[in-house]
Amino acid sequence: MKGTAAVLIGLAVLAAAVPLVAGDYFVGVGLSLLMYVALTQSWIVLSGMTGYVSLGHVVFYGLGGYVAALAWGVIPLAGIVVFAGLAAFVLAAAIGLPALRVRGPYFVILTFGLAELAKYVVIVIEGWLGKFSRVMFGGPGLDTLFYIMLGLAAAATLITLLVRRSRFGQGLLAIRENEEAAETVGVPTVRLKLLAFGLSAIIPGMVGSLMVLRSTYFEPALLFDPVISFSIVTMAVVGGSDDVKGPLLGAAGFVLLSELLWANAPQLYMIMVGVLLIGFVLFVPEGLSGRLFRARRSGAK
Amino acid sequence: MDAILSGQLLAAALVTGALYALTALGLNLVYGTMRLLNVAHGDLVMIGAYVAFWAFTLLALSPLLSMFAAAAIAALFGLALYYGLFRRLLEGGKAAQRLEANSLLLFFAVSVIVQNVAALQFSGTPRGFQYLGDVYRFGNVAVTGNRIAAFAVAMVLCFGIMAFLRFHVMGLAIKALIQRRDAAAIVGINVERVQILTLCLGFATAAVAGALVSMTEQISPFMGFPFTIAAFVVIILGGLGNVTGGIVAGFLLGALETYGVALTSSAYRSILIYGVFVLILLVRPQGLLGGRRIVR
Repeated sequence: MKGTAAVLIGLAVLAAAVPLVAGDYFVGVGLSLLMYVALTQSWIVLSGMTGYVSLGHVVFYGLGGYVAALAWGVIPLAGIVVFAGLAAFVLAAAIGLPALRVRGPYFVILTFGLAELAKYVVIVIEGWLGKFSRVMFGGPGLDTLFYIMLGLAAAATLITLLVRRSRFGQGLLAIRENEEAAETVGVPTVRLKLLAFGLSAIIPGMVGSLMVLRSTYFEPALLFDPVISFSIVTMAVVGGSDDVKGPLLGAAGFVLLSELLWANAPQLYMIMVGVLLIGFVLFVPEGLSGRLFRARRSGAK
Repeated sequence: MDAILSGQLLAAALVTGALYALTALGLNLVYGTMRLLNVAHGDLVMIGAYVAFWAFTLLALSPLLSMFAAAAIAALFGLALYYGLFRRLLEGGKAAQRLEANSLLLFFAVSVIVQNVAALQFSGTPRGFQYLGDVYRFGNVAVTGNRIAAFAVAMVLCFGIMAFLRFHVMGLAIKALIQRRDAAAIVGINVERVQILTLCLGFATAAVAGALVSMTEQISPFMGFPFTIAAFVVIILGGLGNVTGGIVAGFLLGALETYGVALTSSAYRSILIYGVFVLILLVRPQGLLGGRRIVR
């Protein structure tokens, strides 16, 4: 475990040095890498731990972005980030109780439907307000955003690490293995699931608020893009969600792939994502980190 | 108010309802027998629509004929998916641990791949063609010939499949599998064969629905998803695995959408569909018409 901590701290220091030595292009790539690390780590607190697979996590990201778009110029940056996280938490708390009663594949399609519903509701609200996209002037510089995002990615990783080793995390894992049995032996399943849902929403909300300031404009269809939810799930599956290193591996692989393909051949990128998801679900369900870790352990025997 | 009560809206609701009923029927059969939620179902509608479009533009073939080709292509696709992906999952093994969630991820991946391959091949531009565009009048209601044809074919297929399920041995086997999987195997039903047949049948009906849709609407590589959602709403409303309930629910959703949009505006169409979808899952996942609980 000390090894993991050392590797994580080393990576964070390395990342912190990027804006000092590299140009804007690499800082931009680093920003999207950190964004996906933060999103995927947060997603794992709910979906990796409890087995309630959310395919609508973009809803928190989008809400955070919307909060930032509304509040930009009214309250300072730090306030916006905090407020975006809070809004995402409130949304999760509000929909969590009814949504988390729905299980298995129904929860998956429900979360997807909720995110799409939120997207169309925001589009209609913006229509009422007479705005079809918002432009935000004088946003923070790329380096500032990068360092805040680094903080969020580190926080998300730390939260996942701590949750996994806590009693709370053990309860969540019990829910994943057998919810009825967990409830029978006294795990307060409803409370734990709700808490995990809320916890997994905060950081995506904050990330969304940063990314809207990065792109300097807000458009509902872009912020609530289901491709983001889909990417999060794929990164977690490919990287492996039973280990804090999984999302790092998954996010790194996909950001690389997307830099190579997204600008020139977005369809090809999506096809590759689909193929990788199928391959990993069928052949490597434990993910890259699970595979590498196990290989090393069995090699040592 | 007059507009709401007019036969024109009723005709539109019936056509939409028939297409939803047909699309959902295939999804319902696949879910009922295999317990797999096919989120790529709408993409088969898209494939069927493109088969009909190209057959009409390149070969001047009527969609009412090319729909057979569409059905065959979709059935073959179902066969390929079964042997390529799902047999491994259904048989057990490492990936089968969380079968339903895993199968859902696989179908999502298939959906993304199919959509993007289509976008790459056919470009994202919406396309359409004119076929049976003549207007027929019934009293003060005007309906185009293609809508009448789409409605008629969808109805014939729905009732044909219902009769097949009721009277044919294979249809009875499908129903047995829907009711009690394990018991069906015990009384000597070849579960795997029935599953393959159902998957092909389900895919084929979706593709036929797509060929019918292509006569009345513009088509695009990303047209499938709304159909997937609509089909889910329909089968959840009608009760999972309940074929008759699904057909009734198809018309219900067709009416809800048509009248809902007529009463408000088309900007609310997506909110309406997704809202109903979310509401049903949250409030009454066992369905309005069926009594079957979806607890796994």
